[in-house]
Amino acid sequence: MLVLAGTRKGLFLLTSDEGRRDWQVEGPLVPGWEIYHAILDPRDDVMYACSNTFAYGPNVHRSRDRGQTWEHAEQLGLPEDGELKLEKTWHIEPGRDSELWLGAAPGALFRSGDGGVEWELVTGLFDHPSRERWQPGGGGMCCHSIQISPDGAIYAGISAAGAFRSEDGGETWTPVNKGTAADFMPDDPFPEVGQCVHKLLVHPEQPDRLWQQNHCGVYRSDDRGDNWERLEANGLPSGFGFPLALHPRDPDVAYVVPEEGAENRVTSDGRLGVYKTTDGGASWALAAKGLPEPAWLAVLREGMAFDRLDPAGVYVGTQSGSVFVSPDEGGEWITAAENLPPVLSIEVGAWQS
Amino acid sequence: MLLPSLLATEAGGRNRFEVEASSPREALRELPIRGLLFDEQSELRPLVNVYVDGVDVRNRGGLDENLAGGEEIRVVAAIAGGLVS
Repeated sequence: MLVLAGTRKGLFLLTSDEGRRDWQVEGPLVPGWEIYHAILDPRDDVMYACSNTFAYGPNVHRSRDRGQTWEHAEQLGLPEDGELKLEKTWHIEPGRDSELWLGAAPGALFRSGDGGVEWELVTGLFDHPSRERWQPGGGGMCCHSIQISPDGAIYAGISAAGAFRSEDGGETWTPVNKGTAADFMPDDPFPEVGQCVHKLLVHPEQPDRLWQQNHCGVYRSDDRGDNWERLEANGLPSGFGFPLALHPRDPDVAYVVPEEGAENRVTSDGRLGVYKTTDGGASWALAAKGLPEPAWLAVLREGMAFDRLDPAGVYVGTQSGSVFVSPDEGGEWITAAENLPPVLSIEVGAWQS
Repeated sequence: MLLPSLLATEAGGRNRFEVEASSPREALRELPIRGLLFDEQSELRPLVNVYVDGVDVRNRGGLDENLAGGEEIRVVAAIAGGLVS
């Protein structure tokens, strides 16, 4: 197994056998860059990293030799005659065939057909007629969730614009926010757009089933995002949080890491509390055996992942530089790395060759 | 032209370039890492400083000053390395 831990100061690779109990740490790769998200593309063993620096702007790096050498994108930016400039790159997602998708701020989605050398802005979302009602969250107006559904749909989550679905390969986009709250807008708490989605995932085998960790609650949808049911009253200490993980086969399983609230962004109840549901969010239980307590930590929106082994592994990276792994679906947790720079993202993969 | 270490890494490991150019802007545009220096509106990124013969271009003729030839152009990142964006 390979874990890609994007940090404030470069990319770290954690490797283990399929037992996932003993981990070797390598890094930092792409030193000097803040790695907001990184993936190993299962199609061709290329690593991609959403890379940002304070001086040299946002970018996407790619490596074709297991991280020994890296190249940055040759063309990436917003239209030169526009008013906005690209601020950050946030999330990269393999698409169909050879496509790659990139989420960025301010509220931008890009597509690449040449392996990340050049990136084309998806204007159907960037110029969406609702854009004047979008607003930036604390991390900027970031497009942080991109989901390529097995049923052909594409989903994008933007903070704070909400969730959008495209049925035509990204040409046109429909808001899918019905039932998700915008409590920070008391004059219109259930708007068509403007919700602060923090993380959006589609179940990889049941495309009707979506999950969402939002600024204002944890939600499940059983109809491709057309309607959402709010779930945190069923046993979570808080509805506020950022990351989200699922189970690769069971669509009723999800994991969240609640925080005290929007005004106190630290893990709830003085512990690193991962909570798990096995019944679609009808109930939640603490799944934190082996995680630190007492602890006042934070896990960012990209800081959680799951693998596809059986039993499925769950992975958490903290802003204080630790990576925890549960090789048994949340039954117990192992410290895989500590004293890393602040962890911004966790992703899992496996070399194909 | 002299590049700091992060840009030299992006330029394939080279930190020193010789280019033919009539202005600092043109010289910067000759570099393989020009996309890291200029944004999509062709503006120099705000935390990139450029020195010509040891003097900040803001205190000389700017990026479009006519160069005589033989000048040393140095790119330096501004003092903001601890900035948490």
